[in-house]
Amino acid sequence: MSLQQIYTQDDKQCTLSDLLMHVQSGDCVAIGGGLSWREPMAALRELIRQDIKGLKLVGSAHGIDIDLLCGAGAVAVSAESYVGFEQDFGMAINYRRACEAGLIKVEDNCCYTLVQQLRAAISGLPFMPIRSVQGTDFMQLHPEFKTMTCPFTGEQLVLVPALKPDVAILHAHYADQHGNLHIEGPPVADILFAKASAKVIVTVEEIISHQELAQKGVTIPYFYVTAISEVPYGAHPTSCYPRYAYDREHTACYYQAARYSEDRFGEDYLNPFVFGCKDNDTYLEAIGGKARLAHLEQWNNGMEQWMKLYE
Amino acid sequence: MNNKAKIQTCTLGELMIYQIALSIEDGILAFHGFGSPLVQLALHLAKRNHAPRLVLVAGATYGVNPMPLFLTPTSNDFAMSQGAECHLNIEELFDLAASGRMGRMFLSGLQIDKWGNMNVTRVNKNGKLTLKLPGGGGGCNLSCDTERITIWTAAHRSPFDDQGHRRYRLVEGCDFVTSVGQRTAEGIHRSGLPLRGQGPDCLITDLGVFDFNSDGHLRLRAVYPDTSAELVAENTGFDFPVSENLTTADLPDVALIEFIRHMDPMKIHHRELSQADRERTFQLSGG
Repeated sequence: MSLQQIYTQDDKQCTLSDLLMHVQSGDCVAIGGGLSWREPMAALRELIRQDIKGLKLVGSAHGIDIDLLCGAGAVAVSAESYVGFEQDFGMAINYRRACEAGLIKVEDNCCYTLVQQLRAAISGLPFMPIRSVQGTDFMQLHPEFKTMTCPFTGEQLVLVPALKPDVAILHAHYADQHGNLHIEGPPVADILFAKASAKVIVTVEEIISHQELAQKGVTIPYFYVTAISEVPYGAHPTSCYPRYAYDREHTACYYQAARYSEDRFGEDYLNPFVFGCKDNDTYLEAIGGKARLAHLEQWNNGMEQWMKLYE
Repeated sequence: MNNKAKIQTCTLGELMIYQIALSIEDGILAFHGFGSPLVQLALHLAKRNHAPRLVLVAGATYGVNPMPLFLTPTSNDFAMSQGAECHLNIEELFDLAASGRMGRMFLSGLQIDKWGNMNVTRVNKNGKLTLKLPGGGGGCNLSCDTERITIWTAAHRSPFDDQGHRRYRLVEGCDFVTSVGQRTAEGIHRSGLPLRGQGPDCLITDLGVFDFNSDGHLRLRAVYPDTSAELVAENTGFDFPVSENLTTADLPDVALIEFIRHMDPMKIHHRELSQADRERTFQLSGG
């Protein structure tokens, strides 16, 4: 067995476009965050601009991140557990359209199965056992899942193979230049993704000194991390509390653009907000600039202000 | 002005929230998933009403015993985890179910069969995918591991379409089994499967409340003041037994209704209901 790669460079900072050079067409990709929280949206927009395609996506509960990649034709296989906009907007339109057109191979997974597959990779084991999944159609959907009789208890268990994504794409609040990461709020599956994946690329709100980062606490140690790029507001339109809330208004605009067809989505969303923006600063201007961002930062000015963001 | 004196009716949403809450035992650990405002409100209602020792774990944030300022339309939001006593991570949450510490979870489906199997993955026609649903999150695992499951749907009513067909929510069979009920699609009883949890024990819909009989089959237990066993049967894709003690479901009291309205000022839970169902109200007795 070969020694697994670790990353020891003193300075892992790079530009957003260089960051995405670590992703190849056809890669198995784990995207961090969850639902409308801390998705690495700026990195995904850059991935689309670099014309990276044929991805296999693995993850737990996701929304606009996966839907955007589907709308840009970047996805070949989806092994996500959930892709949607909850009760907020409903079904993920681009995802659904691409799956139903046969453009994406549907290999849905479930959260704990995914967790155990990542844990196998993290532990250097070929599989992990679980008791659940039996009695559902996931056994047929995933012929790679095997059953065995437990040699200790005689129970029938399901063995799920190790999952080692080629690359994890995360968005964190802080990093130091060495690549230590600090995440506030729910980490979702980011820590598991970072430990299981061959490469980990990260956009961060702010790069700070190691002393400051150590005080906040290291959520993910540097040697898992391949490269980092400072991209303020890099999760927009998803939230990155406590810095900024979810941009529901922009998400509504996204959803409206996705509604009719792949072509209309290209014209009404991808052109103005992805292809038409050479970098994230240009994107931030396109979504309303400083005034819009200041609005999203006001969630902490009392309940009334916060509630207004959902209207 | 006395607000209490003004509340003389409750809405369908409030009735459903109350009925879901009644399925929650005190002193257990229960988890609400995401995209489920009726359930999110029901857990908070239960904790405030009859289950003060409930360990309430919020979906998506994994906050424990949070006190949300208001319900948001997205579940992984700081507003939903405000005041949480502590936070779990994803592996810890699912380990709790796998190791037998999770007492109850709440699941729904676009298709729900008579055994409580559900589909939120895909609809097929002649073996071909015709409708890709969002997927079940961790519902598959939790349907196996959690001690008890409450099923709910706000779309039991199945009006006729243009061709005169009903597209039932409660169906004879699911196109894909995302989460497992009391028997598999082939009819194998759950007790014959190596699963930890006991499976679903109730279904709360926009038309009534079901339990499961000893065969593991859905059985109508209660209707609402504006529904009947006949109406429920018309809107259900399979025949079902009716409890000998069929009742009309209890309504929440004024204090509980006020609690729901206070916690969901934007009426996020209405988004689970059809336009017509948002208008259904029930007269409280004894006013």
